[in-house]
Amino acid sequence: MRGVKEPRWITIGRHVVLLLFVLISIYPAINVFSISLRPGNKLRSTDLAIIPENWTLASYQQLFTEQPFLQWLGNSLLVSVAVTILGVALAAVGGYALSRFKFVGRQASMLAILTTQMFPATMLLLPLYVMIARLHLVNTFLGLLIFYSATALPFCLWQMKGFYDTIPVSLEEAARMDGCSRWKTFLKVTLPLAVPGLVITALFSFMTAWSEYIVAAQVLQDKEMFTLPLGLKSFQASMSTQWGMYASASILVSIPVVIVFMLLSRYLVSGLTIGAVKE
Amino acid sequence: MRFSHCFLFLLLACILACAGCVDSAAPTKITLWHQMVVNERVVLDEMIDQFSRENPGIEVRALYKETEELRSGFQAAALAGTGPELVFGPSDSLGAFVTMEIVQDMRPWFDASRQAEFVDQALTFLASRENPDDPMLVQVGDRVGNHLALVYNRNLIKTPPKTTDEMVSLAVAATIDKNNDGRTDQYGLVWNFVEPFFAVPFLTGYGGWVFDKSGRPEPALDTPECVAALEFILSLQDKYKVLPANCDYETADALFKDGSAAMIINGDWSWGDYLSNKQIDAAIAPLPVVSATGLPLGPMVATKGYSLNVHATGKQADAAMKFVEFMTSEATERQFMTRLKTLPSRKSLLNDPLLTSDPTLLASSQQMKNGRPMPVDPELRAIWDSMRPHYQALLASNETAPEAARNMQRDAIAAIERMNQTYQSGSAGRILKFVAGLLTLGLLWWQRGAWKRLAVDWSRNRLAYLLIAPAMAVILFTIVYPFFYNVVLSFSNMSLRNFQDWQITGLQNYEQVLTEPKFFIVLLKTIIWTVVCVFFHVTIGLLLAVMLNGPVAGKSIYRVFLILPWAIPSYITALTWRGMFDYEYGAVNLIANQYLGLPVINWLGDPTNAFIACIVTNIWLGFPFMMVIALGGMQGIPGELYEAARMDRVSRLSQFWHITLPMLKPVLVPAITLGSIWTFNNLNVIWLVSNGGEPSDQTHILVSYVYKAVFNLYQYGYGAALSMAIFFLLLACSLLFLRRTNATEGVL
Repeated sequence: MRGVKEPRWITIGRHVVLLLFVLISIYPAINVFSISLRPGNKLRSTDLAIIPENWTLASYQQLFTEQPFLQWLGNSLLVSVAVTILGVALAAVGGYALSRFKFVGRQASMLAILTTQMFPATMLLLPLYVMIARLHLVNTFLGLLIFYSATALPFCLWQMKGFYDTIPVSLEEAARMDGCSRWKTFLKVTLPLAVPGLVITALFSFMTAWSEYIVAAQVLQDKEMFTLPLGLKSFQASMSTQWGMYASASILVSIPVVIVFMLLSRYLVSGLTIGAVKE
Repeated sequence: MRFSHCFLFLLLACILACAGCVDSAAPTKITLWHQMVVNERVVLDEMIDQFSRENPGIEVRALYKETEELRSGFQAAALAGTGPELVFGPSDSLGAFVTMEIVQDMRPWFDASRQAEFVDQALTFLASRENPDDPMLVQVGDRVGNHLALVYNRNLIKTPPKTTDEMVSLAVAATIDKNNDGRTDQYGLVWNFVEPFFAVPFLTGYGGWVFDKSGRPEPALDTPECVAALEFILSLQDKYKVLPANCDYETADALFKDGSAAMIINGDWSWGDYLSNKQIDAAIAPLPVVSATGLPLGPMVATKGYSLNVHATGKQADAAMKFVEFMTSEATERQFMTRLKTLPSRKSLLNDPLLTSDPTLLASSQQMKNGRPMPVDPELRAIWDSMRPHYQALLASNETAPEAARNMQRDAIAAIERMNQTYQSGSAGRILKFVAGLLTLGLLWWQRGAWKRLAVDWSRNRLAYLLIAPAMAVILFTIVYPFFYNVVLSFSNMSLRNFQDWQITGLQNYEQVLTEPKFFIVLLKTIIWTVVCVFFHVTIGLLLAVMLNGPVAGKSIYRVFLILPWAIPSYITALTWRGMFDYEYGAVNLIANQYLGLPVINWLGDPTNAFIACIVTNIWLGFPFMMVIALGGMQGIPGELYEAARMDRVSRLSQFWHITLPMLKPVLVPAITLGSIWTFNNLNVIWLVSNGGEPSDQTHILVSYVYKAVFNLYQYGYGAALSMAIFFLLLACSLLFLRRTNATEGVL
């Protein structure tokens, strides 16, 4: 499609659709932003103004001066990056096995992976706590790393398997004909072609760790160890939530996600592999 | 002689030094889970610092947990035999804690003379099942409060009302349409109208109460007093129209803070915000007297205080109680009273000049005198759960006051019975274990060939096993234990009455799940919810991906904006959407009405509309994910295919249909499968947008239904069985879908 001129009405159509959805996407987001600027701790307001009257940056200031926000940010970054690396690595090789090998128990494993997602998380709370306590994983980032990877992996494995499925086997066969080992073929031929899949896997793993709350609340028992979702939750209380701080923290929390997405999304639309794929 | 002296001296010094070493090296660590909000935490932290200075051997770690989470977290931790030494919270959880036997008697540290220093309500005594005649001290309160009072804006009302008649006439006079556009601009009296906790003062004002006079927690909702109270509340909405339709906590709060409401009924936790707000001139007054009965509107008053974990023993327990003593000392309570306007629990502070000189504390303590202690029985939860749906049905004119009262009573009795239900482990448990054993053996026998095949296959596909093993190990490690725990639990009697001593009792939980007609109604709703949400996630995601995956300027900017719904924490965006669906002030109605000329819709007050609101919110939250997946998938489609299609003059639509979609299948199928599973089990959106299933508990999907059963009525066994039902349903659907799409097949 690239490089081809489109009729003008289609280009306009694209912009109209995209603009409409951008509007729908950002309106609630802007609302969150205006909550963060509102004085007097209000979730709602009776007017629709985006920049509220007497707006203030006090919430943001409080976040940095009175709350260990930067520490939470650091913890979250550490955990999320570790989960992303582990998740991508395990899914990249595991998905390859699922796509290219017909080993015994493959279908069973694929289903087993899926079933782990089927249980309502609320019911897992109790056994989860018991398990974390018995394994002495309380207050360790290692505990989070294991549980988050396990949460992210099912999707990542299936997704990577799907991506490998779209890559023609003929390419690998050619490489093996030239004397490459199976592992080397994977590394040199298949993996580079699956970059869009790796990007999605990375983004998903990152988001899982970045926004997860239930497991973190069981594992982390010290304020200094908190990740961002736990920090955010500490502003929350039934009928007396600190809306200003909650909203400003939410805005700040989403910035790293947007940055990660911008860094990665280059690989989502550049189509760097397409020329190589020919059946 | 001298030598032995020296030796003894040295020995003694050594011992002392060692003791000192041990002491300073390992201070006694105690943990406190509390639910103090941000500004209270500042004082708490200071107090902890002071305590550590005075007691160098003790280290206190405080951790904030939101009310519900503190309760469920503490239960789980105590079940695991650990948990914090101390929990601080309102007394209404204590009934459950004592029934579950997870808190211990504090009388060994608080003898009669010390108890006498506190006001009656500050100390909570409850008897265990073994010793019904010897109530234990299970909570030492450091404050009493949590009560509702009337807050009024002095710019709009000069003197607060003394009677309900006065209150109504003041409210009517203050309800004004300033610009005569048919929309009320200022309301007379607002509060969290949809929540029954806020109706309690009216119940007491008309001479009623949630429980009857027997002293046992028997509901007393179907009474003339209750009907009269409900009718009065309803008249404010229907007859006098002094508050907006479907007024919830946040709407009432915003109205009052914006100066658009003359009076608000709200609790002591909120007063600080109102008093410091410069836009209004707020003052606090006791709730008025009911003109018809002469009784004051009496809110529920709760004690907040410290309870000791049953697993805290020896040095830990002593240190913990030392801390409790410090936190309930006169000096500490005065700090809290002065800085946070809490009402103290010590008799000696009742005559403190501050209590009479500070207007807030004065009004607060006056209101307190008309209050009624909040019951500590676990049955209170059943009362709230049964009141809420019918109370909301009353407000929506779907039930009359006598009907609502009757239905509340009926449901409360049923819920309490259910909560207190116990099953005994009879032969059913043993038979079940036997059958489970047989099934396992049968399964092993049936699959005996698999091991052999695995052994043979190992030599051929060694690389595959090595590649998949780490991922599988991580996944299985985390899921196996919780899964089997739940399987066992689903056959057990674990509940409020059998919390620590639960046993396998048979199939009664499954029976309960499948014989309840409500299960199937909720299941149907869940299916609609899942199908509609995922359909729109995929179609919108694909549409946007197709739009982005072409020659379009500003792609990267569009992309960033379009993933915002995924990037911002969903807790706040879901609540923002709830605000946008507000009847009177929400953006959805305002835009629809003012710009598009559409009629306004009561989104959150009507079950179907509320369900639609939840679906819209969830679609908004989920489409960016599918868009990203589709974008990624499109990169794998060879451009030559499109070129060839263009040569053949194939239309764009059919290019999409015959090239894009089939090529995306391998990536879309897993995303759709998992997306459906996640949507099916998505508790948050439903819970936040509909405020826990409102109106009238009619917007539940299966998970929120499980959540309610487990967390409100403590039916762990039943909840586990319900989860198993969800699990098997999802398994069956996924199998069907995957088989149809051949997704488990590999390329080779």
